[in-house]
Amino acid sequence: MLGAATKRSAAEEGKPEMSKRPAGVTSTEPVTKAGRGAKTIEARDVDLFYGDFHAVEGVTMTIAPNKVTALIGSSGCGKTTFLRSLNRMHELTPGARVDGHVSLDGEDIYGKGVDPVEVRRLIGMVFQQPNPFPTMSIYDNVAAGLNLNSRRIPKSRKDSVVERSLRGAHLWEEVKDRLDKPGSGLSGGQQQRLCIARAIAVEPEVLLMDEPCSALDPLATLAIEDLIAELKNRYTIVIVTHNMQQAARASDVTAFFNLDATGKPGHLVEVGATNEIFTNPTQKQTEDYVSGRFG
Amino acid sequence: MPEIARSEYLEELATLEASALGGLDLVNTALARTMEAVENQDVELAQVVIADDDRIDGRYLEVHQSLITLLATQSPVATDLRLISALLHVLKSIERMGDQCVNVCKVIPLTGNYAPVDARMVDLIVRMGGHTRTLILQAKRAFEERDVEMARDLVRRDDAVDELNRECFHLALEIGDDADRREWAMTMLLSARAIERVGDNAVDIGEQVAFVVTGLFREFEDASHPA
Repeated sequence: MLGAATKRSAAEEGKPEMSKRPAGVTSTEPVTKAGRGAKTIEARDVDLFYGDFHAVEGVTMTIAPNKVTALIGSSGCGKTTFLRSLNRMHELTPGARVDGHVSLDGEDIYGKGVDPVEVRRLIGMVFQQPNPFPTMSIYDNVAAGLNLNSRRIPKSRKDSVVERSLRGAHLWEEVKDRLDKPGSGLSGGQQQRLCIARAIAVEPEVLLMDEPCSALDPLATLAIEDLIAELKNRYTIVIVTHNMQQAARASDVTAFFNLDATGKPGHLVEVGATNEIFTNPTQKQTEDYVSGRFG
Repeated sequence: MPEIARSEYLEELATLEASALGGLDLVNTALARTMEAVENQDVELAQVVIADDDRIDGRYLEVHQSLITLLATQSPVATDLRLISALLHVLKSIERMGDQCVNVCKVIPLTGNYAPVDARMVDLIVRMGGHTRTLILQAKRAFEERDVEMARDLVRRDDAVDELNRECFHLALEIGDDADRREWAMTMLLSARAIERVGDNAVDIGEQVAFVVTGLFREFEDASHPA
């Protein structure tokens, strides 16, 4: 699917899991409800650099399909950088470099000959600030990804994808009578749902969300969280959030990143079931962070 | 990593813990007075214990409300959350212990103004009270020191209270056919049963110590499936 991908399994690499938790409480637990297209992401020994700056060190974790995985940690701990490495957006920054392996259902997304644009179609991204194309209509915003990814799509099919995507993003009822109006005329929460509709229009398998609610009011935030809970039935979802309560409410698995000191690389401290992380974390650093002892 | 201590919140949580556990001191005093009232058939002292239970109930309501406010405003998680959950349980146990002392004190006037029918029964109950006061103090110390072993040891000490309670029962069976003597024995059995429950409440507090420390809540002993 990703072209000339090289498969590297954990067994072939012969490297241990980073998780110190007992089996059954990590993100690797079996998926009971198979999603239509959701896939597993495996990150193994991932190191990320901006030029000479070592931003993230040695991250190994499995991101399970049909679950919401939250990445938490203080500013500068590398969680957003790590998120951006999962769909090859990190390398868009000049001088940025990725070491290690990231695979989607076993296929190396950094493999030789793999098209990064195809990777980003399969692994979509929703950003912190809602960023609809300001001059485009609501309809065209949703259809934008289709136009980029396919050469020619019949209007009727495009109509149905736009409607399905807007329904999937819980926005259809609010905008169905003004699809030709600019997306920038919507409220912040609506704009973010429009961006989610745009992301799911191209039928990805994974959705990455970088603080998707940080610019929204509490009601719009809860609407997005409800949407995330529904979207996980179809996609693998990874969300970066500074809002600890959001991680607790909206995610199934939580991964805590930290760094030992400013200028040092961020690393994964602990990953586990969200209810464990917020009631009985195994690492003191995690306990101190989720309890608000530092941050 | 910059430290941002939530000092006010942490101080308040520590104060609330001390206040909740201070309820055990109130119960200890109430139980000591209750035993003295039983031993001396002191109706007036029993009335003091009954009236003073309002202090224990007041402590329960006050700390309970403050803990709910902390939950609502501070979003505690991890150890803090477990501590608050445990303190809510501990408060309930303390309130029940106070009520059991009241139960004992309420029946003291019923035992009459004459000498006890059987001094051995009174002695057994007073010994139960002594053991139970030790349990209360040990439960408090185990909680303060987060000492799971000390908390588990409460089960062993509680067994001694249970054994004395059984002795009271056997003594009551031997009390004879006289209606007044039987009524007296039944009344004393109610008191013994109340003290025995106070011991169980102390063990319940020990279980909360284990929960705070380990994150796992398990009954030390399952009454419906004894080992």
